Amino acid sequence: MKMSNSINQEIGTRRDEKYRHIYVVIEHFEGQVVPVSLEMLGEARRLMDDFNQKYQLREKVVAVLLGSDVRKLCDELVTYGADAVIYANHDELKYPRNDIDTRVIVQIAMDAKITKEIEPEYAGTFVKPRYMFFAADNIGRHLSSTVLADLESGLASDINKLVISDLDIRHEHKTKGQTVRYEKILEMYRPDFSGFLWTTILCLDNKNPEIQREYHPQGCSIIPGAFKPIDKDDSRDGTVVEYSPKIDQEPKIKIIKRSVIEKTIDYETCKIVVSMGRGIKDNPEQNIKLIEEFAELLGAEIGITLPLSKKPYQVSQSMDSKYMSPDRVIGTSGSKISPTLYVAIGLSGAVQHIAGMKESEIVISINIDENSPIVDESDIFIKGRMEDVIPKLVEKIKDQMQAISVRST
Amino acid sequence: MLNVGVIIKLEPDFSEGNVSYNSDGTLNRAETKNILGPHSAIACNAAFYCKVKYGARISIGTMGPPIAESALKQAQVLTDAEELNLYSDRLFAGADTLATAEVLKNGVEKMFGADKMDIVFSGHRASDGETGQTGPQTAWKLGYTFLGNVMDFDIDLDRKVIVAKRLISLQGMDTIIEEIECPLPVFITIDPSYKSAFSTVSQRLGANKYSKQGRKKSENYAQFLKTYDSQKLDLDPKLVGLPGSPTIVYRVERIPRAKTNRKTAIIDPSNPDNLTPVVTKIIEIARGK
Repeated sequence: MKMSNSINQEIGTRRDEKYRHIYVVIEHFEGQVVPVSLEMLGEARRLMDDFNQKYQLREKVVAVLLGSDVRKLCDELVTYGADAVIYANHDELKYPRNDIDTRVIVQIAMDAKITKEIEPEYAGTFVKPRYMFFAADNIGRHLSSTVLADLESGLASDINKLVISDLDIRHEHKTKGQTVRYEKILEMYRPDFSGFLWTTILCLDNKNPEIQREYHPQGCSIIPGAFKPIDKDDSRDGTVVEYSPKIDQEPKIKIIKRSVIEKTIDYETCKIVVSMGRGIKDNPEQNIKLIEEFAELLGAEIGITLPLSKKPYQVSQSMDSKYMSPDRVIGTSGSKISPTLYVAIGLSGAVQHIAGMKESEIVISINIDENSPIVDESDIFIKGRMEDVIPKLVEKIKDQMQAISVRST
Repeated sequence: MLNVGVIIKLEPDFSEGNVSYNSDGTLNRAETKNILGPHSAIACNAAFYCKVKYGARISIGTMGPPIAESALKQAQVLTDAEELNLYSDRLFAGADTLATAEVLKNGVEKMFGADKMDIVFSGHRASDGETGQTGPQTAWKLGYTFLGNVMDFDIDLDRKVIVAKRLISLQGMDTIIEEIECPLPVFITIDPSYKSAFSTVSQRLGANKYSKQGRKKSENYAQFLKTYDSQKLDLDPKLVGLPGSPTIVYRVERIPRAKTNRKTAIIDPSNPDNLTPVVTKIIEIARGK
């Protein structure tokens, strides 16, 4: 009885809340904001507008930007939805480095004083951000991990849907088996590795008196391409605040050299892309050869699904190094493409894959299973085994091409 | 002599013939075998490279149920490890990445009788969880400098400094290879593109010798195995397992199919004539019309 009282005291919106605002950690590269950062701002904007209306609050979308010369990027972030930008300029912040970036972002997140310039009413009780967004890419994935480890709070990775709601939670540990209302909880949706299941992850305070503990910010990393930026609005107003980072120790990581590597495959310029999935399994080597011949005939580039990049098949070394590699993955963990023609062979169409090819102009799929999701995403679905269908297509294409060339001579 | 640690994970074997899927496309965990995860194996290769090239003793650690011993054994084959550590306790069950990192931090601190470590490797990400967060969080808790996506590295033993190449690829931007330098100790997650190259004859001979030794040792891997529960790891039970996890899994559902505007024409290829209009269309596009 006593315990349930102490739990109930936590309930209710209070004016003295310690956790406020969404902080969005921005990435930039050679003077340009990386697209995922604008996508995160867009989603933060939509969430915050609903949130403030629902709870009658004035919490903000706060962009956090580190670099050596980044003032010039701040206004752009405002036009894409930020209410405020906290930026830090320092020579040591020129390129992303996990050690120093983590320390500076933690400093900014814990700085109540700076939030006075963002929303004075909430600054007095501010302790940490309420929510924090990072990009789920080579930089943000690790940065989100170390920042949240330092802030000792929860983090969900690779998110493609977000909802803020009040939830009644009953949990063995979090609430000691009692039903407790949690307010303003970020429901973080994460597609699992198969692409068929969606897991909703919550970051919740422990309200069980025996292990009582507050977990804020509620952090996540967001899949590039999952959300849309808002339309650029030059009339938007925002507060731009400079932060002077305290860099008391020299960063351990020293960058010696940065070199740009040319992409081995440039899907952006491909008119036709032929992709294969796990359906090659009955005879991988033979089927890859079929697909190779088909693609060559059309002058197409070859793509793969994520499961194939994990090398689930034994094929010869030369084929393996040619195709089963992560830089050929089409989907959220690889390239997002929009060719004139996309031919999907032996792939079922997991949501991550669809996200990478749905902008294709025309989609033809070849699959034995007419219930697989790729069918809905196809203009033409050829129901059959690739071993049967591809040779027929190849033969017919050769015939027709020959006929055309004969006609034209 | 370097002290090298490797954090590994027992994972479902996604290779064909071993993996089993339910009819709805999800993984059938009961029917799927478990093995040393492929990214963990790459981390093992990197540790083995240290042993051959610089001279190192290797300690492997994993958090999991007793069955995770099998992953430690496989890792010993790959690394000729001197020490295998299983962090296993019912209290650890249900841990999210932060609570897992708490266990692994204390685990690494106890490697080689609490000796100082020079490098700890872990895989890029697990095949079944795929968060990629555990490595960097463990590094941060340890106070080691974290280096992610390392494709290649070299160690200057005199200066106790590592020079590493890292891959940075961001959405819509050029891919960058960054060469960095950093004093030891470091915590490294190895990029899937990493390949250990033994360039000299003596390295190849060394690799052969240690490989044989590793296989031999693994036959009696139990001799090298130390098992730690939360007490032996000096862990606060409030910081591990479910109680120590900020996050919970609230709901699992099937992802609804995306809305699409395409009207799908279904073609039966058993009559090749049905394919003719498809082929005409394909050729039209291929010829740029």
